[in-house]
Amino acid sequence: MTRRSRMLGSVMAGVLALSLAACGSGSSNTSDTTTKPADNSSTTTTTDNGNSNSNEKITITFQNIYPDTTDPKNKMLHKIVDQYQKDHPNITIELDSLNTDQQKLKLKTQAASKEVPDITIVNPAAQMQPFIDADLFAPLNDMIEQNGLKDTFQKGILDYYTFNGNVYALPDGNNIAVVYYNKSLFEKAGVKVPTTFEEMVDVVKQLKAKGITPMAIGEKDSWTGSFLFMNVLLRTNGGPGFLKDVVDGKKKFEDPAFKEAVDAFESLIQAGAFQDGVTSFDYNAGENLFKTGKAAMYFMGSWATGGIETSEAGKDNNVGVFKFPTVNGKGNPDEFMLAPGSAFAVSKDSKHLKETLDFLNYFMLNYPKETFAAKGAVGIAQTVDGDFKAAGYSDMAMDVLNLFKEVKGGDLAFDNTMNPGTAQAHLSSIQNLFVAKKDASEVAKEHQTAYEENK
Amino acid sequence: MNVLKVSGWVIAAFVLPCLLLYVCLVFIPILVSIYSGMLDWNGIGASKFIGIANYTKMFTNDSVFWPALGRTFLLAGFSMLVQVPIALFVAILISRYVRRPNFLVSSYFLPVILSVVVIGQLWKTIYNPASMGGMINQILIGLGLDSWTHSWLTEPKVAIFAVILVSLWQYLGYHILIQFTGIQNIPADIYEAAKIDGADGFKADRYITLPMIVPIFKISVVLAFIGSLQSFDLIMVMTGGGPAHATDVISSHMYNMSFLSMKYGYGSAIATFLVFVCMLATVIINFLFNRLDKRYS
Repeated sequence: MTRRSRMLGSVMAGVLALSLAACGSGSSNTSDTTTKPADNSSTTTTTDNGNSNSNEKITITFQNIYPDTTDPKNKMLHKIVDQYQKDHPNITIELDSLNTDQQKLKLKTQAASKEVPDITIVNPAAQMQPFIDADLFAPLNDMIEQNGLKDTFQKGILDYYTFNGNVYALPDGNNIAVVYYNKSLFEKAGVKVPTTFEEMVDVVKQLKAKGITPMAIGEKDSWTGSFLFMNVLLRTNGGPGFLKDVVDGKKKFEDPAFKEAVDAFESLIQAGAFQDGVTSFDYNAGENLFKTGKAAMYFMGSWATGGIETSEAGKDNNVGVFKFPTVNGKGNPDEFMLAPGSAFAVSKDSKHLKETLDFLNYFMLNYPKETFAAKGAVGIAQTVDGDFKAAGYSDMAMDVLNLFKEVKGGDLAFDNTMNPGTAQAHLSSIQNLFVAKKDASEVAKEHQTAYEENK
Repeated sequence: MNVLKVSGWVIAAFVLPCLLLYVCLVFIPILVSIYSGMLDWNGIGASKFIGIANYTKMFTNDSVFWPALGRTFLLAGFSMLVQVPIALFVAILISRYVRRPNFLVSSYFLPVILSVVVIGQLWKTIYNPASMGGMINQILIGLGLDSWTHSWLTEPKVAIFAVILVSLWQYLGYHILIQFTGIQNIPADIYEAAKIDGADGFKADRYITLPMIVPIFKISVVLAFIGSLQSFDLIMVMTGGGPAHATDVISSHMYNMSFLSMKYGYGSAIATFLVFVCMLATVIINFLFNRLDKRYS
């Protein structure tokens, strides 16, 4: 009796293990088993230089942030991966597609137990620093020299992912912050595109008087307000580098430029620029206000372009863009808030490091072409060959692309420059300005205290 | 104690799987988190042992910690002193005056089985400012009470109460179900005997239902208390702890510290504190109710 039950038990355990394994292998490899792998006439650029023991089955996990199947990036991802698997029948790319927040959390958990996926996503500069300190990623210096990959990237963009002379990640985007505006709502209120911050506050008041919500923002995700605030600071500081000066000990948050920025920012809030209940709107809800034509202006990174041009408000070229204006006559509108995108990094402890690097090389080489074809190429980090206008990109997309040509430097977002502890204190301090009027010197002091505590 | 005529080993063998699971999933993580609470660690890189420095910082030098703890207890207080008594009252009414009570109890229970995200989104729309079509504000305006309107979730003083109300609403049905079941289990012959002695209606409730329900009531109170200490999801969905920490409770503060500020060690210290508060509270509540129990039996 006991023996029988034990046998039964082991059988059951075996079944369980099998079913688990079946779950684990994922669905991403089903596509290439059905198609004949013999077909080698690939339309896309092939990178790899031979058939290095192609009998060995290799699985590469590819953690990414393109889970939305309606997003052009998702289609692009699947297209490149499918093609690669077709060309390399022994390699399976297992996709782990997650939302941005989920991915951040998952990676931190994985990093804590040193189980980083073969390819994963990180954010630039300060947000990457802890991972670099923990020595989790493989340097990509040699890999980007292969097939001329390095030259496809815009000049200087890789600096944000370079530590101690090593490039550790390759960005999927390079964006700038712009102000989108709804032309018909501007017309209705009889206002023009503001050329100074003071005019902008005025425009806000006039829109408000007409019963139109002047600006939309999703301040529940507090980085949105911070992004706007940092642009004001970029102006009042007369140029980029305020936070760097703080880190280098040359300036303090109590600097007049910082206080001036707080005052200007508060004047915008006090003029009633933003929708009611602003801190309970998350990023998507805030953006939707603008997309549905319920708000007249929207300050955001140029990555929002694609979503806005296909939205209700963006029909018939109804949405335009303008540069963030000067504040109190200070600053240069050609300096932008820069947003080097999230980037692909390779785990140092990857079991198939060479194959992973080869794949990423192939992926990045084909990335510009495929995103261009999927109409998602506004604000990517690589140079694109192709006529945007002829490819059917909208006027607004063309406007944004032209702004890119005028960029003369700028600053990164706060949390890409400062350590996470200070960044969190900053985010909640700025969020507080949306619900309560506060003295600028008090805000500056909060920042300085938080910075010193987290140094 | 060998009533079952099985050896201690057999009993041990049967208890073991569950015990192992419990130790692995509860005790070991608690121990690990006590240990990480003494580290200066960002969760990824190298860690440094710093003893109780995290705790001293938490108690003396964290401007968010004490208000967050206060809000946690505020929520617990509302839950124990408002929600559970209301639930008891409703349960008594239902069991006494409703002919087919199951349907009603199930309807009250409905919010409990809904996902918190759904509840959060639902109430966010209800709380919206009038300009965004928020229901409460529109009703208030409709009644001519314009001055009563608020941006419920974004005014720092009001927001926490708005969230607490939703939490009370959601779990009311849960406690009604518990109390209702408790009342159903009181033997009917006691009431019949009391009726003969002239104790009916309100009197019967006062002298029979209330004393007999004490053990069940205790379960409800403990669950309400622990549940409020751990409340997290609803706050994350509705306000994210904002505006500027105005609705942060202890567990959302823990999350922010561990994963956003990347102070994993500090977050673990808060978690450890939370575990001890939960244990202590359970002991205290048990002690109080045991005394109450003794008085009535």
